[in-house]
Amino acid sequence: MGRAAGRPETERCRILLAEDEALAAMAIEDELLREGYEVVLAPDGQAALDAARVAMPDLLLTDLRMPRLDGVGLIRALRGIAPRLPVVVMTGYAPAGGAEAFRSTGEGPVSLFTKPLDMDAVLAELRRLLPSGQGRVPETS
Amino acid sequence: MFSATVEGKGVILPAGASPGDPALLWLHVLSDLAMGLAYVSVPAVLLLLLLRRRDLDYPWLIGLFAAFILAGGATHLIAALTMIQPSPVAEGLAKSVAAAVSVAFAAALWPVLPRLLALRSPSALAREVEERRAAEERARESEARARESEARMAEFIANLSEALFVLRVTGAGEMLVETVNPAFERMFGVEAEALAGRPVEAVMPAALLRPSLPRWREAASRGQTQEYELNADLPAGRMTWETVLVPVRGEDGRVARLLGSARDVTATRRLQAGLVQSARLATVGTMCAGLAHEASQPLNVAGLWLRRARAAGDDLPATQQAMLVRAVAIVEDQLRRAGELVARIRALAGDEPRQAEVFDATHPVAAALQVAATQYAPEGITLCMEGAVADVTVRGSPARLEQAVLQLLANARDAVLERRRREPGAPARISVALQRSPGRIAIEVRDTGTGIPDPLREAIFDPFFTTKEPGRGTGLGLSIAAGVARAMGGGIEAWNLPEGGACLRMELAEAATPAAPRAAHVAA
Repeated sequence: MGRAAGRPETERCRILLAEDEALAAMAIEDELLREGYEVVLAPDGQAALDAARVAMPDLLLTDLRMPRLDGVGLIRALRGIAPRLPVVVMTGYAPAGGAEAFRSTGEGPVSLFTKPLDMDAVLAELRRLLPSGQGRVPETS
Repeated sequence: MFSATVEGKGVILPAGASPGDPALLWLHVLSDLAMGLAYVSVPAVLLLLLLRRRDLDYPWLIGLFAAFILAGGATHLIAALTMIQPSPVAEGLAKSVAAAVSVAFAAALWPVLPRLLALRSPSALAREVEERRAAEERARESEARARESEARMAEFIANLSEALFVLRVTGAGEMLVETVNPAFERMFGVEAEALAGRPVEAVMPAALLRPSLPRWREAASRGQTQEYELNADLPAGRMTWETVLVPVRGEDGRVARLLGSARDVTATRRLQAGLVQSARLATVGTMCAGLAHEASQPLNVAGLWLRRARAAGDDLPATQQAMLVRAVAIVEDQLRRAGELVARIRALAGDEPRQAEVFDATHPVAAALQVAATQYAPEGITLCMEGAVADVTVRGSPARLEQAVLQLLANARDAVLERRRREPGAPARISVALQRSPGRIAIEVRDTGTGIPDPLREAIFDPFFTTKEPGRGTGLGLSIAAGVARAMGGGIEAWNLPEGGACLRMELAEAATPAAPRAAHVAA
């Protein structure tokens, strides 16, 4: 869990990052922080759900295969709280039916990225999904 | 006066007759006359009979009999005359002539007796005729039965779905076609009349002849029944027949004929091959999904950390930074390649993020053809579309189908280039045909390439199978195409073309047109 220093919390979008592979989570968190997002990091689905109950994220960036609670279960649980929550899925598997397979979890958009991740594409998708003007870090403040 | 004459002459009377009795005299004269006339009349009848019926047996005997009667009659007439005018000389002469004829007749009759006894009576003849007629009737009936049975057999053979053929083996070992049945004509597209009596090498379809001839020769030389499965590549596809060859020996003990039957088991074999392929792909699919997942994790971490390393290099001195940028670029490129491989393996698992939809297959096929035509044109390869049909609806992913067709085209291209490398003047042509049969859509890609060596035929759809040198081709193309075909309710098969090159056919299940489900939905 980390924050870009020196920015008022309200200006930044909060991304909940659920990833059980610590090295991957660390690197992704680093990229997100550099993009100016606020990041909440969770090592599995259950930890992510617990963290969301404390502070609801603006976007969920999650792996699918995780201990305790898997990605699909996490998405379903979070959308029970916030039905329009945007979700970006990163997975080594690609479920049959693609992003459509997540339609049953709620109304919000689901984007699917397969690993190894094209991080530039993921960041571009985050910028598209999150409301403009938010999450962008001004070069100076 | 007459009586006076009779009395005057003193007639010699038979013993016991009293002389001078005119009534008795006339009784004798008239009786002798009547007998004599009757005795003359009978030979006349016999002579008439002989003249009219020239076919009678022993005419000479009848003639002799007539002479015998005539001679007897003559003695009676002479006797009548001598009653009135006694003449012992005339009477004696007549009697001697009659005696001679009688003796001759009697003498002739005895030796003929056995033959006369052997003569069949008219009733015996009638019986015999009747028996013959019955026998003929029986023969006709049995012939009719035989004809009927033959007609039934001919009908059976004509309607049999198995192809039958009879080959005649000459003393010189030459094989001539004796006959073939209609199923054979249909199966191999030939006419029985055009084949009859001609050497097998000249008239049998090449696709059948090539694999069969060694078998026929073996059966003819060894005289043993042979059962085997025959595979042949015909223009319509690869066919499989269960074949039985029965040698038939002639009187000299040599194999004079070969009776052959061929049952088309193509559909069964295709189904079996499809099941094997499906089972293999299912196993491979599970394996690939696991492999893709496991491999994607370290690649992912490595890629993400490489980005961090590059970002960290910003603060380094220029020379070190240049080295780092180069190293990062190389590692990134390698990771990208590994990532692409993982993506292909994932596609193989059928585990792709795509939505099934109902669409017209002509569009992705045309799109693939256009892409390939542009790419292959500089290599001098001609691509063309043949026998296109419109509105062929299938269910699946258009993008995946386009990918699959591209894989088939890429495979064809490699085969064409390989052949041209070996034979510089070889044709370089790829044709694509879209066909529709009830419930099925077929996409055929034919090339003028090297063809598929027989032992590899089953393996070409296996993942990671490749005949290309290392570094070229992943060996996944055709198995991806096979996976797409399977996901779309069909399958894929390959065979060599008689004129060289190969044909890969992808079959897909035809889907109901998109309008139909929508209407059903509205109604529901």
